[in-house]
Amino acid sequence: MNPNEFDVIIIGGGITGAGTQRDCAMRGLRTLLVERSDIATGATGRNHGLLHSGARYAVNDAESAEECIRENMILRRIAAHCIDETDGLFITLPEDDLAYQQTFVDACRKAGIGAEIIDPELAKRLEPSVNPALIGAVKVPDGSVDPFRLCAANMLDAKLHGGQVRLHTEVTRFIREGDTIKGVHTRNRQTGEEADYYAPVTVNACGIWGQHIAQLAGVKIGMFPAKGALLIFAHRVNNLVINRCRKPSNADILVPGDTVCVIGTTSTRIPFEECDHVAVTPDEVNLLITEGAKLAPSLSETRILRAYAGVRPLVSADDDPSGRNISRGIVCLDHEERDGLKGFITITGGKLMTYRLMAEMATDMVCKKLAVEKACATAETPLPGSEEKSYEAVAQKVWESPTTAQKAAASRMGTRASRIRSANRHDDDLICECEEVSVGEINAAIERLDVSTLTDLRRRTRVGMGTCQGEFCACRAAGLLAKAHGCVERERKDLADFLQERWKGNFPIGWGDTLREAEYTQWIYKHVLGI
Amino acid sequence: MGGGLAGMVAGIALQQAGKNTAIVSTGQNALHFFSGSFESLHAPSERLAELFSAAGIRVHYRDGVRLMPLGTFKDAALSLDDIDLFPSPKFGKRVLIVNFLGYHDFFSSFIAEGLEKQGMECRIRFLNLQELDKTKAHGEMRSVQIARSMDRIWEKVAQEIRLLLKDEDTVILPQVFGLSDTTVPGRIRQAIPARVVFVGTMPPSVPGIRTQMLLRKRYQLLGGTFLMGDEAIRAHEHEGVVHSIATQNLDAHYLEADNFILATGGLFSKGLRSNPFQIKEPILNLDIDCPEDRNNWYNPSFAGEQPYMGYGVKTDAQLHAVKDGIALKNVYAIGSILGNTRPELGSGAGLAIGSAFAAVDQILRCTQNDNEEPATPVILSEAKNL
Repeated sequence: MNPNEFDVIIIGGGITGAGTQRDCAMRGLRTLLVERSDIATGATGRNHGLLHSGARYAVNDAESAEECIRENMILRRIAAHCIDETDGLFITLPEDDLAYQQTFVDACRKAGIGAEIIDPELAKRLEPSVNPALIGAVKVPDGSVDPFRLCAANMLDAKLHGGQVRLHTEVTRFIREGDTIKGVHTRNRQTGEEADYYAPVTVNACGIWGQHIAQLAGVKIGMFPAKGALLIFAHRVNNLVINRCRKPSNADILVPGDTVCVIGTTSTRIPFEECDHVAVTPDEVNLLITEGAKLAPSLSETRILRAYAGVRPLVSADDDPSGRNISRGIVCLDHEERDGLKGFITITGGKLMTYRLMAEMATDMVCKKLAVEKACATAETPLPGSEEKSYEAVAQKVWESPTTAQKAAASRMGTRASRIRSANRHDDDLICECEEVSVGEINAAIERLDVSTLTDLRRRTRVGMGTCQGEFCACRAAGLLAKAHGCVERERKDLADFLQERWKGNFPIGWGDTLREAEYTQWIYKHVLGI
Repeated sequence: MGGGLAGMVAGIALQQAGKNTAIVSTGQNALHFFSGSFESLHAPSERLAELFSAAGIRVHYRDGVRLMPLGTFKDAALSLDDIDLFPSPKFGKRVLIVNFLGYHDFFSSFIAEGLEKQGMECRIRFLNLQELDKTKAHGEMRSVQIARSMDRIWEKVAQEIRLLLKDEDTVILPQVFGLSDTTVPGRIRQAIPARVVFVGTMPPSVPGIRTQMLLRKRYQLLGGTFLMGDEAIRAHEHEGVVHSIATQNLDAHYLEADNFILATGGLFSKGLRSNPFQIKEPILNLDIDCPEDRNNWYNPSFAGEQPYMGYGVKTDAQLHAVKDGIALKNVYAIGSILGNTRPELGSGAGLAIGSAFAAVDQILRCTQNDNEEPATPVILSEAKNL
């Protein structure tokens, strides 16, 4: 058997690609996933991290709402260690129409979403950070989800089922025979190494970049890049997701996640050329702060850690410039049927919330093409790490009397925390103090989760995501990576890239403590450490 | 106002000149992340050499380079004795780099790679010291915690290193020696039969904290009043002259003086503050040249020069701080609060020292002139008697 031959090749290491690989691998297919960068670098890692209850879509898009609540309940079962079951509020402020609340609740109930009108006073007790001026509140089963963790867990499970993953590997062209795609030609962007891989079916799961991949394959998909900007605050201001109870608009969702909270988003149409370099503008920052403070007034006084933006992979339906009125519906294209091109599928549209359903649809199509008859089991099978629901119970099992740092590790890794080596007493040393990440956890990630750079490591462990934004931990972690990869020179460049990446998200919000920290980082790396 | 390098140097120089001074200091300052080298200074002036020597701070300079903690080399600058200055980057043949097991703030592999590029052979070894386990049990292992132990157990460490040493001509150690006992770095050098080179760690900087303590001791010995853990919050100004300042701790007891020196530092030290619309000086609301459009504050490249780091308070030729376009007659701004508005005075530690001396000289000149003037009240009373 040729080691470069597979049953299916999946292009794209976001949540859709990772989910599709997992599903295919669980149905017994030999899978390869190629990603030109790292996992979750596109829209997957650049959103709210909101575990939608579907309530946001209930009034305008019943189909999305129903999909969301179904997947919401499934993810609680299969991805416990990636999810924080916070619940959410939809609040009505004096400037909003309270009559909308009933329309909203009726639509939620119709979609199967448990929405409950509560007394504003109770809402204030449940969520002390909420704007005390609220005149109405509805409680819904929202939550938060760590998209990096979810993506890594799907990919890991695919690997446990025999799948192969090639990160930092770009598809440069398709291998085509007549009207059939036979495989892909790839190039590793770090080593320059080129390789051909073959499979009877290739899945395009590249989000907004799917248009480009389709073009490479010789088919046309019209996509609609809509930028959404978000801000991360340095504290977990709220414990419940806070939404505005009105027609979806800008900056009306505040999501708590791990040690921080995230406000977003905006929606602006951008040209395709900008998709690789989306930047947050001062106007967007101002809008996010102003609107965010209406949900939780303390946000106007809270330090902002970062600004970032993602591009929604919407398939164009009409010429609406805001991108809000078209459904975020799932698009699964069989290019044989659509364009007469065999062996090629595109799965796009949708959202983080519905990735599993998208993966199921794509995998069903792959299986049909390969004449494989095996039912999808992803809705019932927990992801690796999620076999146990409570991270505290996990920590207890692994460490007997766990420290707070060990509990933090268990909350990130779930049952896989048992893989953290603790043979050496120095494995408990903390590398990242903000997020309490230990040497052992970092080494476990390097060993099992395809880490080649500090930024990759950040996505898998939260190293450098905290208040210091990597100022202190980047060097320490770089030392561990240099040791693991046996190459300091590469790590030196990696460290510079990591600091540049952090700065990119800092300067749009560069004032107050953020600018203080930035000045300190600049000084330390340039003048004290001598990068 | 401000007890960093600039404030301490100004305080000591004024005390030496017979002035009565007080320093208001929050406690932490840029010396806590001092590289050990005084950026932009070379051979010290006689005045600086004397000031440092009287404080027990030993400095040196030679043309050449210094080794940075990530294994790179920078041009030599006036440096503490801890820091070695080499005529060229290839300063040895075989190098033993020693770190402590479990200490992640010293970047031995980066240093080794940097030196190997220069053609030196490197060996990295870790000392596993039980004494440090206790340190760790009480919290994280960082430079200052290790340095506290080293003041006690440096002899044992030197012995362990002697055992590790094979044919190396150089031993590299982290800068975690001589926090309170300033003789320790010298004794380590004597105890090891190879050249010992101390290389910096992630802050806090042990040589920096030691320098701060020595400067403070010297200042207090000269009779200066050091108000630790306090900060100026407001100044009372009338027609271009400041009469007194209010501090956080002294409540309604204002500090009065003939002259005021603002050495409160840059953004990180909170001598300057920023919001989305402007950069401000919080005590006197001094003039700062800073573009209104925030987009101009930053260089999107981390490695590039950052415009925001250059913004500082405006001063006249004599370093009088400028407020609403008018130079305050008895307020001087020194150190990093100047940003790079006075490039002729240097940058970093060089700016701190250069501007401190300049302000001190100006104050001394002015008070001399004052003394020469006749005392006006006497004349008035004589006129009355007539």
